[in-house]
Amino acid sequence: MNELLRDIYRYRELIWALALKELKIRYKRSFLGFLWALLNPALLMIVLTLVFSNIMVISMPHYAIFLLSVLLPWTFFSQSLSYAAESIVGNGDLIKKVAVAKLVFPVAAVVSNMINLLLSMIPLALIVLAMRAPFYWTWIYLPIPLLALTIFTLGGTFFFAAANVYYRDVAHILQILLQAWFYVTPIIYTIDIFPAKYRWIFKLNPVIYVMNGFRLSVYYGKLPQMQSIIASFVCGFIALAIGYSLFRKHQDEFVYYV
Amino acid sequence: MDSIAIRAEGLTQRFRVIHERPDTIRALFSKFFRHKVDFHEFEAVSNVSFTVSKGETLGVIGRNGSGKSTLLKMIAGVYRPSAGHVEVKGTIAPLIELGAGMHHELTGRENILLNGLLMGYSKQEMQKREAKIIDFAEIGEFIDAPVKQYSSGMYMRLAFAVATEIDPEILVVDEILSVGDIGFQNKCFQRLERFRESGKTIVLVSHNVQQILDNCDRAIVMDKGRMLMDGAPEEAVELYKSYATPEQVELVTAAPHS
Repeated sequence: MNELLRDIYRYRELIWALALKELKIRYKRSFLGFLWALLNPALLMIVLTLVFSNIMVISMPHYAIFLLSVLLPWTFFSQSLSYAAESIVGNGDLIKKVAVAKLVFPVAAVVSNMINLLLSMIPLALIVLAMRAPFYWTWIYLPIPLLALTIFTLGGTFFFAAANVYYRDVAHILQILLQAWFYVTPIIYTIDIFPAKYRWIFKLNPVIYVMNGFRLSVYYGKLPQMQSIIASFVCGFIALAIGYSLFRKHQDEFVYYV
Repeated sequence: MDSIAIRAEGLTQRFRVIHERPDTIRALFSKFFRHKVDFHEFEAVSNVSFTVSKGETLGVIGRNGSGKSTLLKMIAGVYRPSAGHVEVKGTIAPLIELGAGMHHELTGRENILLNGLLMGYSKQEMQKREAKIIDFAEIGEFIDAPVKQYSSGMYMRLAFAVATEIDPEILVVDEILSVGDIGFQNKCFQRLERFRESGKTIVLVSHNVQQILDNCDRAIVMDKGRMLMDGAPEEAVELYKSYATPEQVELVTAAPHS
């Protein structure tokens, strides 16, 4: 773990340059450029508000905020994984020609999506104000779930980046997995709609704890319980340990398979 | 004082030559159930040992497929040797392929930074050298245009300028100087000459025997992964010419691979 931190620090400039490159390419030739990162959640909110307040009637105040408070971090998570799964294979030409630390590619994928997430928190705050929903002081707690989610996401990116080098099916399986995962995670609903005796099933989902932190602090104005915070970090570090050890063990072989 | 720049001992690189690419899970399963090994090991470089002194220019000649590039990639740290080891003292700039780290959507200036970072230099070092690189590459005002708009000549000039302007102690050049127009080639060789004069170490792979004779202090001849000789460039070129006849080539390709 020390080694990982040291390498990330050592290659910070390269990781940053690669992350910016990714963002630049994502928004290339678009007139609004980086503004899209800000506009996306705002436009999504308009759609959501129209759908849920006029078509489907949900008896929940400020449903858009309820949803976005978890959907934005979820998007960061799923996009990071999707990008990272292709990050080693996609940079195969480079890996075959330059002796470069392999970890910079998945880490850069996480960093670029993190920039997106942080940018999208700005429109979320504006939406809260625009909807005249209460703006809670618990927003200042957000760095904690952000950290836990980043650790968890890094673990996943290392795992899928390495696995996809050996079996290209992995990137496809990941898309299906993320779809299914989205629906079993309380993002568009709360677990309160399920009978109490089934709720324990949701607690097997490792992202639920960290997502809980986002929703509580943004939508409910509360802080998560200590067990929940600890669980979010435990899940994060387990994912990171598994993903990074797999990645580290095989990184010198990637060059033969890309 | 130790005056060795590169010391290679028993360098060996084996590749798995996969007959039926098992890069999908389906192929993996079928392979698993049939218990069939559908690859063979191929030794691209076998037991090669040599040293290069500081300030020396070593030529590497041999036919296509003789293991020259694989040897360079082991020196550059792209491949980890299957056996043996290589010791490199000093900073190394590998020119395995010009423009390996270039991204077409980024501008020339952004590519200078990204390339330098990929080769392990800091942002500060690259900014210091930026003006000189632009000057040598003769890119002019195109420097802030995306690289995809460059002519192939501009592209190569920029890549060569980046690799050599960062002032490595050891330069590893693979076959790249056979590209570009006469003017650029001359410029490149002038720069190599300056490198030699300033006491830097160069490893030069080339098919062009004249380049070897003109530029190298010593040369090694590679054939089918083995090193045939290590000696004066004149003798090496003589040997290379003597066996590189069409009949020989035919004989080698006809040899059965089990």
